Amino acid sequence: MALRVSIGQYYSATSPIHSLDPRVKLVLTVVFMVSCFFVGNLPTLVLAGAIVGLAIALAHVPLGRLLAQIRPIVLFLVVTSVINLFFVQTGDLLVAVGPIRIFTGGVEAALLYTLRFFLLLLAGSLLMLTTQPVALTDGAEKLLAPLERLGAPVSQVTLILSIALRFVPTLSQEAKNIVAAQTARGADLENKGALAYVRACVPLLVPLFASALRHAENLGRAMDARCYTGGEGRTHYHVMRLDARHDGLAIGVMALYLVALIALTILS
Amino acid sequence: MPSFPHSTAHTDASPVSDRGPALRARTSRLSGDGAGAPLISLRDVHFAYPGAVAPDAAPASPAASQASGFVARDDTGTDHNDGLEALRGITLDIWPGEHVCILGGNGSGKSTLVQLMNALLTPTSGTVEAFGYNAADPEGAAQIRRRAAMVFQHPDDQMVTSIVADDVAFGPENLGIPQPEIVQRVDAALAAVDMTELAQADPADLSGGQRQRVAIAGALAMQPKALLLDEPSAMLDAQGHRAVQRIVERLNRRGIAIVHVTHFMDDALAADRVVVLERGRIALEGTPDDVFARRDLVRSLGLEQPFTLQLADRLATHLPGLPLTGKTDALAEAIARAVFPQGASLPGTADRGARSARAEAMSSDDSSARAAHPNASAPKTARDRQDDAIVFDHVSFSYADDANPRKRRLFGRKRSQHGVRHVPLALDDVCLTVPRGSLTALIGCTGSGKSTSVELACALKLPRSGHVVVGGVDTSDLERRHELRSQIGYVSQLPERQLFAETVLDDVAFGPRNLHLDSAEVDRRVHDALTAVGLDPTPALLGRSPFALSGGQQRSVAIAGVLAMQTPMLVLDEPMAGLDPAGRARMRSLIQTLRASGVTLLMVTHSMDDVAELADHVVVLDHGKVVAEGSPRQVFEQTPCPAPGLPAPLAFTRALAAHGVALHPAPLTLDDLVTALTNLCKEVFDHGATR
Repeated sequence: MALRVSIGQYYSATSPIHSLDPRVKLVLTVVFMVSCFFVGNLPTLVLAGAIVGLAIALAHVPLGRLLAQIRPIVLFLVVTSVINLFFVQTGDLLVAVGPIRIFTGGVEAALLYTLRFFLLLLAGSLLMLTTQPVALTDGAEKLLAPLERLGAPVSQVTLILSIALRFVPTLSQEAKNIVAAQTARGADLENKGALAYVRACVPLLVPLFASALRHAENLGRAMDARCYTGGEGRTHYHVMRLDARHDGLAIGVMALYLVALIALTILS
Repeated sequence: MPSFPHSTAHTDASPVSDRGPALRARTSRLSGDGAGAPLISLRDVHFAYPGAVAPDAAPASPAASQASGFVARDDTGTDHNDGLEALRGITLDIWPGEHVCILGGNGSGKSTLVQLMNALLTPTSGTVEAFGYNAADPEGAAQIRRRAAMVFQHPDDQMVTSIVADDVAFGPENLGIPQPEIVQRVDAALAAVDMTELAQADPADLSGGQRQRVAIAGALAMQPKALLLDEPSAMLDAQGHRAVQRIVERLNRRGIAIVHVTHFMDDALAADRVVVLERGRIALEGTPDDVFARRDLVRSLGLEQPFTLQLADRLATHLPGLPLTGKTDALAEAIARAVFPQGASLPGTADRGARSARAEAMSSDDSSARAAHPNASAPKTARDRQDDAIVFDHVSFSYADDANPRKRRLFGRKRSQHGVRHVPLALDDVCLTVPRGSLTALIGCTGSGKSTSVELACALKLPRSGHVVVGGVDTSDLERRHELRSQIGYVSQLPERQLFAETVLDDVAFGPRNLHLDSAEVDRRVHDALTAVGLDPTPALLGRSPFALSGGQQRSVAIAGVLAMQTPMLVLDEPMAGLDPAGRARMRSLIQTLRASGVTLLMVTHSMDDVAELADHVVVLDHGKVVAEGSPRQVFEQTPCPAPGLPAPLAFTRALAAHGVALHPAPLTLDDLVTALTNLCKEVFDHGATR
């Protein structure tokens, strides 16, 4: 049983969002995520929410899967909104119980900041769910290709990313095997003190590092055998072609959203 | 001309000069170009790994010694000066379209040899030329690599992406092939290894055999003239192994030259030529039949004969003149003819009778089963369950409940139930027993739940429902967990991967120390355990880093680490995986010794022959359910057979029966088969004499 990574959890489906060019999807998502920081009042929040809602509706991804991606960060969101609630002391006083004083500004900040961050996360996780990791790294490589001319090792870095994604399940399975083997030999991993805990981890970490090194060495040799010599002269299996209608429409929608966002921000 | 280190090899008229013209004729037929030049040619090649300088110098990383398979040392730990060289004067030609198998024990230099052919390594002296390029020249090396593709032992370490098709495309991408042609090549390569349907799958979801086929497709997509395979089946189950072998033979028929390094003698039977290495030299070379006919030499080189040749050899005294062939059917026919010359027959075993006797043997009753196997266990119902070492009582297990964060209860109960329903149970209502003092074999295909069962038996996982009782202790009873740990030992798959300590002593002593034994007792156990696995517990060995040992020694030390806990029960998860024939033989004798000393053993294995030789109780799993349990005879003689394969002697008995020689009861081991055939010969002879 291979354990899968929860980041980059691709959800296989056919949808207009899935079939967008990964470069377009990547750029638009990043633009949207940045724009979320300019959401400063209710109308802009509704606008940004509408865009995310539209994308989700088109993506044919179950809402549960989408929310599951964000689950680990929910606690962080709750904490920041509570801090906002208590420490932003502008506007009218709403509640005053002993030392706790809650203002309208605090409520507004708590809701607004939390929700816009929530939208940002939704957009990011939607990108991950609708794009295969390989397509994503390929897209990033294409986008960053101009930097290659400045000497940045773009294609190497994206290959490293792809390999890293590929090895997460392998290494996590091996880690589990090692834990099992050493537990059967009586390794006690529930020691109390920090030093004792570190010592107890040695039987796990040494084999895991040894295993990572072994994989690296073998993989390096296999890549040599398959004539990998770096980015130069490589061709690509996947062609990325911009579809004027499909990708153009997505870019158009995003442009309209940005214009509306700017307009609403200036107006208020 | 190669210089043979063993004078014995000379006697078999220099095979290279004999076969050269014949092969050339054959290859010109295959490739149609009529060119008389070898694809790859090595001339007096020597090679030494930089790490193998001083006896105690550890290699650069633990991976180095393991991946390359050896640091030139023999198994007793003594070092020879000339042993520092991995290869010592190899002269060898590979012809177009040829199928060559390279055999040899661990550390004989096989992996080094194929890596030299692919210009992954450059010789310290001598020359390697391939496809008209010199391997020593970097430009030449690149040219060689695009013509000689390579497949390694671990499929996991050859994949660069998480989509099968993208991985296959990696080689052509590197070669700068135009995109439309890459698409064609990927499709063709995946079709050649029967993986078209899984083109978009994640390699992590595939079985080892499927992953290795993807690796072969990746090599094929480069459209090589030669395919170099470095023990591609060493880590696969029988099914995966058969698939790889079938594909290799098919590719060879298409005209691709194959150089196949293997530990499996049966693989070599399909080759045109076999090259046997020993300590970096070619010890023997010739057709498979010629090579394996030299029984004593083959054995002294740490190899074994393929099954049919072993059988023909053992029968030689009673049935002289049997052909030394790798073909089961040819040998069966020859034996049938030798046993019943000119229609001689036993009363009641005439042709018609023979066939009915065969049917009878297949539905063999319990009494005959016990007659042949005195140790064969009685049926489960007749046994007192209290006496069993390990009992699974209606055990179910699902990875959905375990540690998969994705499947955890998320937003409401309904979702989570929905998720669970989609994950098949890894174990579904499993009831099985491991009788005390027995050797129980756990068999089944990849994904049948073997490893899960093992982890449940070792209390490394807890069942979702049902109970696992080990030595009278329920594994869910946390109070008695410590007691349980001292009852059952666990030798994981590739146990050498769990080595961690700075010295052999500390590693082997890890388990006993965790049992809080006093230091004198720990020392005694470390010595006993190392002696048991065939290592001499000298201070030099005890003080050595386990990572500086050879691959075979590492496994021995890792197993000693478990034996040192002196548990009355021991679980072995594929202990033979990746071992050479000599290593497998050592492991078998270790298992028999443990058995004789009263240890209850539960062994997961892919080898049906090992089951027949070693086990007295068998449990067959399929898709998380027990489909058969009983003695090896009870399991293997069921039709259809629930096991994923048959032991070679039984398969051979069936072939014999098809030629009219019925053996009753059907022998499961080579010894039994030889005895049965010898007795039959005597009977036929006596009958003929009295008539």
